[in-house]
Amino acid sequence: MTELSVASLLFLSATLLAIGLFGILTRRNFILLLIAVEIGMNAAILNFVYFAGFSGTSHGLSGQAIAVVLVGLAATEVAVGLAIVLALNRQRGSINIGDATTLKL
Amino acid sequence: MAVSFVLVGLLGDRLKKLEHGGWVAVGFAGAAMVVAVLVVAAEMLHPSHYSDQSFTWLQLPGSPGAFPNGFSLVIGVLVDPISALMLLVVTVVGFLVMLYSIGYMHADRGLPRYYAELSLFLTAMTGLVVSDNLLEFFLFWELVGVCSYFLIGFYYEKPSAASAAKEAFLVTRVGDVLFLLGIFIYFTIDATAGGGLGWAASGFKFVNGSTPFLAGAMGGSSTLQTVAGLMMLAGAAGKSAQFPLHTWLPDAMEGPTTVSALIHAATMVAAGVYLLVVASLFLGFTPDDRLAIVAVGGFTTFFAATMAVVHPDIKRVIAYSTISQLGYMVLAVGAGFAMVGMYHLFTHAFFKALLFLAAGSVIHAVGTQDLFKMGGLRRPMRVTAAAFAIGALSLSGIPPFAGFFSKDDVLSSVYTAAQSHPAYWPFLILAYATVFLTAYYIFRAFFLAFSGDKTRDPTLPHPHEAPWVMRLPLYILSGLAIVAGVFPFVPSFASLLSIGANGNVPPVFGTTDLILSALSVGLGAAGILLAQALWGNGRVYVLAPESALQPVRTILLNRYYMKAGYDELGLRLVYGGSRIADFFERYVIDGTIRGIERLAARLSGTLRQGQTGLVSDYASYVVAGVVGLLILLLFVAPFVLASVGGP
Repeated sequence: MTELSVASLLFLSATLLAIGLFGILTRRNFILLLIAVEIGMNAAILNFVYFAGFSGTSHGLSGQAIAVVLVGLAATEVAVGLAIVLALNRQRGSINIGDATTLKL
Repeated sequence: MAVSFVLVGLLGDRLKKLEHGGWVAVGFAGAAMVVAVLVVAAEMLHPSHYSDQSFTWLQLPGSPGAFPNGFSLVIGVLVDPISALMLLVVTVVGFLVMLYSIGYMHADRGLPRYYAELSLFLTAMTGLVVSDNLLEFFLFWELVGVCSYFLIGFYYEKPSAASAAKEAFLVTRVGDVLFLLGIFIYFTIDATAGGGLGWAASGFKFVNGSTPFLAGAMGGSSTLQTVAGLMMLAGAAGKSAQFPLHTWLPDAMEGPTTVSALIHAATMVAAGVYLLVVASLFLGFTPDDRLAIVAVGGFTTFFAATMAVVHPDIKRVIAYSTISQLGYMVLAVGAGFAMVGMYHLFTHAFFKALLFLAAGSVIHAVGTQDLFKMGGLRRPMRVTAAAFAIGALSLSGIPPFAGFFSKDDVLSSVYTAAQSHPAYWPFLILAYATVFLTAYYIFRAFFLAFSGDKTRDPTLPHPHEAPWVMRLPLYILSGLAIVAGVFPFVPSFASLLSIGANGNVPPVFGTTDLILSALSVGLGAAGILLAQALWGNGRVYVLAPESALQPVRTILLNRYYMKAGYDELGLRLVYGGSRIADFFERYVIDGTIRGIERLAARLSGTLRQGQTGLVSDYASYVVAGVVGLLILLLFVAPFVLASVGGP
């Protein structure tokens, strides 16, 4: 197995984050928005995994553990997000976030 | 001196009025008069005695600068020869006028107000006279001013009276403000003068124990001292109706005649002269100040007399004569003979009060002040006619009446001063010319009112002699107007008039130039004869319409257009000032506030656009914020830190 350079790995993370951000900013469909959030989040999880791998000591394990916790966090987040989608759909008949503007006075 | 404290206490008590209060006021005024006589007697027994009792009510520690030894403010009572003399004048005339008021004001409404204000006036005036420092003096000075305002406006339903009161208040205020400035100048430039810790630390008093505080320390010719002296003159000119602040006094005749007699002839208007006397004894004037004082006094004397020559209103004729006589006093003070000014003040108070009360008696009887409607009043009103004649003779300076001695003293003192100050000559000549005018105008009034067979206006009520409460003051004042002039021949009384270095009673009759006295008497007699020729025996001298004097008469009747000019000036000044203020208010202040308001509205309107409610917009703000922070952290911060030399 060939060693991957730190730079290329970080570039992957950055790309994933950029894709996620782009999705968050441009998508109006709530489900697509959630998917974009997940993609962005994965960039952060990947970062934990890389740096855990690079660290030679047993401290590296804590990075792996956080990655697992974050995966769980992402799952709960999606669960909450989907619940919001359902509620929104039931209330407004649409999952377009452009219709959910009641934050504005 | 305990006596004076008792006096002040009495006067304070008097303000609590009973319902009508007239007799109460008379009683207290009488008590005050008795006390004043005792004070004068005490002063006469102990010549040149100063008695000063004071209480410090504010004391401030020193600080570098104007008052290195700090200063204190005191309130106190100073009894010295001149204040004793003034006290006598104020209380005697005050008492007689109060008594006269019982008859004169009988039919008027608002009597409690009248007596209360008159009592307040007497309190303030005695307070002014016994003040032992300039600040207290100013306090009472303003108090008598406000009493004058109240009493001129006594018939406040009459628009002319209300406006005259306002005019008096405003015009004198001009002088008062300057006076206050003058006080402050004296306070700062002489803070450490006078030995010990200095004038300021001892409360700006006139005297230190029994010696004048600033005698010798003052009287230099520095510019500030001259300015301060001129400010004193301005204050005195406001109160004593000297040119150019004289316009208020003739209008002040809108008040009751008693008030005119007491306040606007005998006492309050003399306060200006009293101020000059006090200032000249205790503070000192520079030679420039003296010239200014002589100029103001000399000019006013003549100026006011000319206006009296044509006026048809009996009270205003006497009012102009008051201005003119006050001019004589100012002239004497300016010439360096302060006590001669006091002497004329003393005699003038009696004969002028007499003239006013006699005029009041006439007005009371016929109900008009227009001389051309009167006439033939001699027969029904013998006492009044005699009293007026005595007053008029005294005013004209005919011996042996009081006015002769004091006026002769004034003239000879100015003559003496003019020997060494040639600039005084024109004013001496004006003063002599005034002697003639004075005799003429007062006898013109006398003949118009009293001579002839019957009143010219048949609709006037049948004249009757005044009741006894009005006649008694006339008798007493007539007596005083005859004999007051010789008081200074009594040595112990003369001591009242000798205070300070240059204040000795100057040559009274007989010791100076007989020619000078003869000249003034001759001029006076000529004036009387001219008046007799033109107006005697009920004649009315009508100036031919085409006469060359007609325009002069118009100017005089219109009072040299000075009042109209002041009105115009006031109008312009106030309107112009208001317009500027209005502009400033409307556009600068309001504009600024509205601008801020509009800016905030527009800004919030713009910012509101950002609140779309769209989650993605908010998210983009967050991203933009993070990106901005990153840029700041990565690119700007190192640069800034490097430039300030940090880590």
